[in-house]
Amino acid sequence: MSGETFTITIDQRPVDVVAGETVLKAAARIGIKIPTLCYLEKCGPLNSCQVCLVKINGRLVPSCGTVSEAGMSVESESVEVHEARRTALELLFSDHVGDCLAPCNRLCPLRLNIPVMLRETEEGRIQQAISTVFEALPLPGVLGALCHHPCEQGCRRGQWDDPAAIRAIEKHLADEHRQSKTPYIPSRKPASGKSVVIVGAGPAGLSAAWSLLRQGHSVTVADRHSQAGGTLTSVPPRHLPEEVLAGETRQLASLGLQFRFGSELGRDLTLDGLLRGFDAVILAVGGITPAEAQSYGLESSSAGIKAQAETFETSRKAVFACGRAVREMTQVLRAISDGQSAATCVNQFLMGSPIRKTPKPFSSIMGRVGRTELKLFLRSTSTSSSTTPCNPSAGLDRREASLESSRCLHCDCRSSGSCALQTYAQTYGVDASRFRSQRRNFEQQVQPGGVIFEPGKCILCGICVKLTEIAREPLGLAFIGRGFNVRVSAPFNRSIEDGLRQTAEECVKHCPTGALSWK
Amino acid sequence: MRDATKSEPYPSVGQGHPDGRTPNVGPVVDLRYAEELVERTGSSPHSVIPILQGLQDHYGYLPGEALLKVCESTEITPSAVAGVSSFYDMFRHKPVGESIVRVCSGTACHVTGAERVEAALRRHLHIPDGGDTDANGLFTIEKVACLGCCTLAPVVKVNELTFGHVNQEKIPALLREVQESVDGEAPATEDPCDPAGGRPVINVGLGSCCMAKGSDQLFVALQKDVEESKLDVVIKRVGCVGICHRTPMIEVKVPGRESAFYAGIKAAESRSLIHRHFGAKGIFHRAARLWNKAVDGLLLEESVDPTELFRVHPKEPTVSAFLDYQIHIATEHFGRADPLDLDEYVADGGFSALARCLGRSLDGASSNGGRNPAITPEEIITIIQRSGLRGRGGAGFATASKWKLAAAQTSAQKFVICNGDEGDPGAFMDRMLLESFPFRIIEGLAIAAIAIGAHDGIFYIRHEYPLAVRRVRAAIKLCQQRGWLGEKLMGADYPLKFTIKEGAGAFVCGEETALIASIEGSRGMPRLRPPFPAQSGLWQKPTVINNVETLAMVPWILRHGPVKFATYGTSASKGTKVFALAGNVQRGGLIEIPMGTTIRQIVEDIGGGVAPGRKFKAVQIGGPSGGCLPARLADTPVDFESLRDVGAIMGSGGLVVLDDTACMVDIARYFLQFTQNQSCGKCTFCRVGTRRLLDILEAICAGKGRAADLVELEKLCRQVGAGSLCGLGKTAPNPVLTTLRYFRDEYEAHLQGRCPAGKCPALIKYHIRDNCTGCTICAQRCPVDAIPSTPYQRHVVNMEKCTRCDSCRRVCPSNAVEIV
Repeated sequence: MSGETFTITIDQRPVDVVAGETVLKAAARIGIKIPTLCYLEKCGPLNSCQVCLVKINGRLVPSCGTVSEAGMSVESESVEVHEARRTALELLFSDHVGDCLAPCNRLCPLRLNIPVMLRETEEGRIQQAISTVFEALPLPGVLGALCHHPCEQGCRRGQWDDPAAIRAIEKHLADEHRQSKTPYIPSRKPASGKSVVIVGAGPAGLSAAWSLLRQGHSVTVADRHSQAGGTLTSVPPRHLPEEVLAGETRQLASLGLQFRFGSELGRDLTLDGLLRGFDAVILAVGGITPAEAQSYGLESSSAGIKAQAETFETSRKAVFACGRAVREMTQVLRAISDGQSAATCVNQFLMGSPIRKTPKPFSSIMGRVGRTELKLFLRSTSTSSSTTPCNPSAGLDRREASLESSRCLHCDCRSSGSCALQTYAQTYGVDASRFRSQRRNFEQQVQPGGVIFEPGKCILCGICVKLTEIAREPLGLAFIGRGFNVRVSAPFNRSIEDGLRQTAEECVKHCPTGALSWK
Repeated sequence: MRDATKSEPYPSVGQGHPDGRTPNVGPVVDLRYAEELVERTGSSPHSVIPILQGLQDHYGYLPGEALLKVCESTEITPSAVAGVSSFYDMFRHKPVGESIVRVCSGTACHVTGAERVEAALRRHLHIPDGGDTDANGLFTIEKVACLGCCTLAPVVKVNELTFGHVNQEKIPALLREVQESVDGEAPATEDPCDPAGGRPVINVGLGSCCMAKGSDQLFVALQKDVEESKLDVVIKRVGCVGICHRTPMIEVKVPGRESAFYAGIKAAESRSLIHRHFGAKGIFHRAARLWNKAVDGLLLEESVDPTELFRVHPKEPTVSAFLDYQIHIATEHFGRADPLDLDEYVADGGFSALARCLGRSLDGASSNGGRNPAITPEEIITIIQRSGLRGRGGAGFATASKWKLAAAQTSAQKFVICNGDEGDPGAFMDRMLLESFPFRIIEGLAIAAIAIGAHDGIFYIRHEYPLAVRRVRAAIKLCQQRGWLGEKLMGADYPLKFTIKEGAGAFVCGEETALIASIEGSRGMPRLRPPFPAQSGLWQKPTVINNVETLAMVPWILRHGPVKFATYGTSASKGTKVFALAGNVQRGGLIEIPMGTTIRQIVEDIGGGVAPGRKFKAVQIGGPSGGCLPARLADTPVDFESLRDVGAIMGSGGLVVLDDTACMVDIARYFLQFTQNQSCGKCTFCRVGTRRLLDILEAICAGKGRAADLVELEKLCRQVGAGSLCGLGKTAPNPVLTTLRYFRDEYEAHLQGRCPAGKCPALIKYHIRDNCTGCTICAQRCPVDAIPSTPYQRHVVNMEKCTRCDSCRRVCPSNAVEIV
């Protein structure tokens, strides 16, 4: 039998296969990446996750364990197959206890990875912390001073005592950066050859500029005033010191931003003129009347310029609008995130791709945690209450910032970003809340050797059970129970690490979710 | 830091496991038994289930120390012990009460009030939900999938004693009876019986259901009384008589006279019966005369014989209607044959088919001096193929195709397995066949072995069927003693070894690949097919697995020829099918009917329809994999294709009749609860998908459903059906899909907060009408004091306190309590 070759088709494409080869491997050879969670070459097909389903002869079968047969016709990338895979993922998420992203991170419209920033600050890795902040936030100094910090409202630590002082820590990092001799330059794509002009140097305009610069475009900001900042310039210095705003302008200039002050749309500039000189225009002119909008030759709405909510497009091609020029907003954070979202759409426009709103990053959401669950998170954090800076006007110093950061519960998932389940959820557009159900309690076993086991995140793929069996672990791991109540555990109430004496490294590495991780 | 530290193999106990299914530190345990057991059973990895069963039989549960001992002294890994012992229902990790009260939650029991019985037991024993043992350690309550005594529903089994038709009012007396007979031992019914010769015989049905109604006690009483009166009458053990609704049933056969039948007769009537038919001699005679005079003479007219009350005439319309439709192939000689009388079986033509397959005659010599050669294995398969026999286990796969595939494999070792893991709630055909006709199944399995070239046969029988296990074991032993099994099958040069494996309680093990995993000593988790077991099965050897009923038909087909078999049934479904007819039907029982008989004929003609005043609403056919068909489809013929076309399946033969007191949403919820609980937990669609289906159904039954739920229910049903790995998950949505299809109005009523059948506790209220006489019986019976005792006034139910146990409605003499 072995050595015999024949042809099968996958999505109408012929593939030559060797007898005995699975459909999964055959598909991989022609670049069709069928998702798998429970498949690991070493373990052989376990056929448990059912995420690798394909359709053969009208039946859905797991491709990891289905051996190719001559003349087989396989359907992989079809609506029906994708729907089945999505449902498998949604079912797994309906019984997945844990958050991929912490609530602070999910609530930040700028997607600052706050838990990472806090861990870096806590450990004194200030340069990394600065990098984390400066890669995510367009105006970190302004935000450190004025952000209304929804992150802190969502912080689980607040359920216990006080939320982590996230904004104060971020402000500390922005201050450290401003005082350092080597400014941090965020990563940038190579020059695209495209140019954008932004009218209005307020928070929305500057934020859009920052984002577009990083995409490699050349950006010019025009403003009728003689300095950048827009409404920010009218904030009293005790709230926003002048040097902070000046620092932001310097930072943007070092990214290559061109300013054209003293130029007003309708007086010095026209849309026609701007469109002759630039590939796209963003209007971030702040609060204006519908009449003013019309005077630019654009359709208006009750709040100003009429723009598509999802794509920021105005009635005129290549002209976009964002910020208070489009809708009412009182928070500077909203204006900044609006500018950033508009920039994403403009970038898509410039690159010739379809314009659509950036989807939210996927996250499993476990919702409100109970007191007992909270205590599990508290075990490995500082129990002290919130840190008061010695010098209130200067904010937290480095030691205080580290102390305050150590109050973070680390309720985000340690495997976020490397988790296959999370990745496929994003790819397949999973709705993690499709099924209403009572969730299990969050559990977390912290092992002395550094393994963390969170049974609620286990999808029972069986890889770790199989790996311990292959390695002939003296104790090993086992499936305990039956049906919906099956759990992976070490036999006889022993600890997970007792079951993983030789295989801890391997099992943590191959766990497709965050059920097994290193501290 | 991440290095494994080498110290003792199983370090100290870590944090407890939340599900409580892991070993507990119990009382000090004497481990000598565990050592002996390992010595006896063997130390290979596949001995794990028999070892655990032995430990549990001895200790009553699985003590943690004993499990550790097993790991130390065998090749069985801790992972296997932990995994296997937590997979199967029968294993317990905690000590249990002195008596185990098993509450059957099969379909028939469910529709006749099993949940209320369990609630009443818990109330009576003060066992809260979540707990299982009473404070005194006397009783442990256990919910079991199905005891297979569906015609006696609701059924409770305490130790070895089975109680039928239980309701909350009977519970105190029931528990008293158990405590009085502490042994709780059922009389043995496997001892050899005397052959009748030409003597008078009393046939006593000794199937499990009959025994649950006291036929074993009657059997013992008759034996004793006959012996004491020195009568030359044989008390004969026979198998299931089928007419379960009239059990215990006996037949008095006196040569030269017409047989007399009695139904519902008890041990107490034994003497009267013997007296009536055989007169009486000696001391017993005098005593009986005295007794008759002293008791009967005073109270009754001389001519009235108490046994007359139990007399049944075979021409009685209800009995003839029950029997007339039936054709007995798998149940040939039902009610007459002694399950363990090998000579009688042979006299009835038994083992002649097997002998022909081996070219032997029954006296042990090669037939015709070897000139008439045996039917070849190929010919056996051809005969089965021409008969059109399809597997009776559910899916209806052609038996000959399976055999042909296995026969074509070149492996030196092959296996045949009799699948007696009958797990469908509401089905008991296989139990009855194994208990009543063990030789027939042995013969069928031996023929299958010859057909494929196997020399090893295994009976896989669920442990909930102890009598079936004992009878098959006894029958195998009788065959061995005669030299018909073992090194020389029926004296021919064909070794065939039969062994028995007891299941440990997992419905999924009825699935072929899960059954194989279970025999190999693993958790009963199915695997992806192909390869099919006939290609690579037990120990990767070609294996044919046939259902009990399928095998029971094989000897008949070989004896009477395939054409005769094929004259019964329809064009694609040949022969007969055995059904367990139960639920809301007047005459439940075990029936064997030709394929193509309509549901209406079964329910109305054979079963006598539903109770007077009730309306026939639906039948549930095919158990958890089947569907609910409405009364308007009652003219559907029972054959594989017709049932599939209307959304049900033939299944293994459970047929539960539902009347208008059954809530169809509740029925769907009931089955999903079953499959969800029985899912092995391996694949996502079945493990989580069935749970989500159940969530939705529970919400609907609790009055918390939304219109969108029905859309999701249907969508998820289709996806679970398509995406699951094995048959259990693939068919689990059927009960939901058929009820959605035929009873959508009931789902919609629930969404509006109404349960039309008055079944779902969250959606019903009790109301006492004006015709209440104020007798206070309901108030006295209410277990939660929800009805104040107000004599001569209309009673009122406090719905805040009411648990919907239905006691008040059942006990009200004026029928004044209604469900609204």
